[in-house]
Amino acid sequence: MLAQVSDVVDACAGQAECVTSYSDFLRSWLTVGIFVALGFVMAGAMLGIAMVLRPSSNRRGRFQEQKFITYESGVDPVGWSWTQTQVRYYIFALLFVLFDVEAVFIFPWATRLEIYDLFGLIEMLIFIAILALGLVYAVRKKVLQWL
Amino acid sequence: MLAFVAPSIDYHAFAPELIVVAILAILVLVDCFTSDYDKSSQSSVAGFGLLLALIPVVTLAMDGTVRGMFGSPESGYAYVVDTYSLILKALFLVSGYVVVLLSQTYIAEGDYWEGEYYQLLLASILGMMVMASARDLVSIFVALELLSIPAYMLAAWRKRDLKSDEAGIKYYLMGVFASAVMLYGMSLIYGITGSTLLTEVAANLRQFPAGQVPPIVVLAVVFVLVGFGFKVSAVPFHTWAPDTYEGAPTPVTAFLAVASKAAGFVALMTLVFVAFPGNTSTIEPLMFALSAATMTVGNLIALRQTNIVRLLAYSGVAQAGYMLAPLAVYGVSGTVGLQAIIAYLLIYAAMNLGAFAVVITAARKTRSGEISSFGGLIQYAPSLAVLMCLFLFSLAGIPPLGGWFAKFAVFRALVGAETGWGYALAVLVGINSVIALFYYARVAKTMVMDPAPDGDLSPVRVPFSLRAALVITAMVTVAVGVLPGLVGHFTDSVTIGAALGS
Repeated sequence: MLAQVSDVVDACAGQAECVTSYSDFLRSWLTVGIFVALGFVMAGAMLGIAMVLRPSSNRRGRFQEQKFITYESGVDPVGWSWTQTQVRYYIFALLFVLFDVEAVFIFPWATRLEIYDLFGLIEMLIFIAILALGLVYAVRKKVLQWL
Repeated sequence: MLAFVAPSIDYHAFAPELIVVAILAILVLVDCFTSDYDKSSQSSVAGFGLLLALIPVVTLAMDGTVRGMFGSPESGYAYVVDTYSLILKALFLVSGYVVVLLSQTYIAEGDYWEGEYYQLLLASILGMMVMASARDLVSIFVALELLSIPAYMLAAWRKRDLKSDEAGIKYYLMGVFASAVMLYGMSLIYGITGSTLLTEVAANLRQFPAGQVPPIVVLAVVFVLVGFGFKVSAVPFHTWAPDTYEGAPTPVTAFLAVASKAAGFVALMTLVFVAFPGNTSTIEPLMFALSAATMTVGNLIALRQTNIVRLLAYSGVAQAGYMLAPLAVYGVSGTVGLQAIIAYLLIYAAMNLGAFAVVITAARKTRSGEISSFGGLIQYAPSLAVLMCLFLFSLAGIPPLGGWFAKFAVFRALVGAETGWGYALAVLVGINSVIALFYYARVAKTMVMDPAPDGDLSPVRVPFSLRAALVITAMVTVAVGVLPGLVGHFTDSVTIGAALGS
């Protein structure tokens, strides 16, 4: 394969453009190939090394009870894993994100309020109005009620 | 202190997007203040809103000036409204309208959240419209996320259905993976060129003489294009498509197969023609390989499908291969290739949406997606069967129908390039069209020749919205086939706003 490539290069040795465009094509795509191969090697190496180093859970007759605990090197879990969680906290988290985004955008605007002038004011009012729609939606869908 | 200059905004150029945003806000309000048991107003507002947004698209097209925003004539603009973006915006709006028509009864009668459905649909269409105008890496990425995130949710819209959950999660995981790959490529491009503006990226990449292009440029270009390869479901990045299409509600599948795929192609075309016009030695072989693999694998797997939606999914993969083909010779064919892809996208949207409309209508009676359930359709619903044959043969590219002109445009671009690669790909497209005819014709044969599986010959009731969708798509499919000048008239004038400022 290598011999073939050098043959082609030799064949158009007199014509500078021919040589460069052909080898450039191979060289640049070789980079992509190496990069992809490296990706596989890295993932394989990480998993492979871990497989060699870690104590196996039940292969070769060495059964290790610790491997089956929820937090292998942490606190011993107490009780049963099927417990109830308040799903309403999740809704508050979502609403928090809504207002968090608003705050992130409003702070820089507020510090330079005079410079942005009327354009900035109108822009921000539109932005707040659209976000307020989200709040209206939340109220109407009764997610703000603590049941 | 740095002086702030408010960007000058051309409200006429922004009007289509602004109208969709306004309709979106109205949809949320209407949803908030209507009863949970009657959300029928949602689909009407969404449908009329999309048609309303079409008006400024038409006035902008009649005006004809290329409008650029957020930039300068020297550096180029980040947001451009030209013939290219206008024709694609019209495509997104009209196909979005047809999807609303397809959804109306399907979503209302099934166990779905109806109010939010149309909001997400419009948000996704808004992302596509922004995509058509975006000429900046950052705005392309924002547009991609805006169109993808609602689509992930829509794919999982069917409640308490494991297949729909699978569809959503597969689409989501593959989508964010593709986004990550693409962002990595974009970060490399920004690192090399120091700009996110596509025109400046192109100018900076042109400074490398042929033969001395740093390998990092190739890596960046390949990563960005591969990211969009996922979006258009090009082989080998197509694995999500059949499962997602099968599990998602059928109108959503139609939306993903047509509008979402078109948006991926829009981004690909913008990037290839505006940002990387000089990188032919990198992109052409990549596109040749992608296109050849996509159409061959798509068609071969489609041969073995027994589910109509999966069949249409693999046929869509194969069609994406035909659409990628002109990109494999873009350095030579240039604008002709661009026009071929756009013509293909327009016609593909009509015929594929039509095929999905028939599937949705027939499934109202059969409640099944199996091809065998289409047996005897010609007896109890002759017009549906004839329309399905029309769309299928159009997809196959039989001359009097629209698909013929789409394939012709691709052939013209490939053969017109007069390169070995172009001829080779043209031959492959030809062979694949013959393979494709086999499975399209098999569905037609089932409808016409086979008896109804359960002997039930009661007619199918076709609601008004589905009838409208069928009429629109069938009219476009036939009209384009008989009068190819119709599409040619629009697409032949398309030029991308790359020349603007550079």
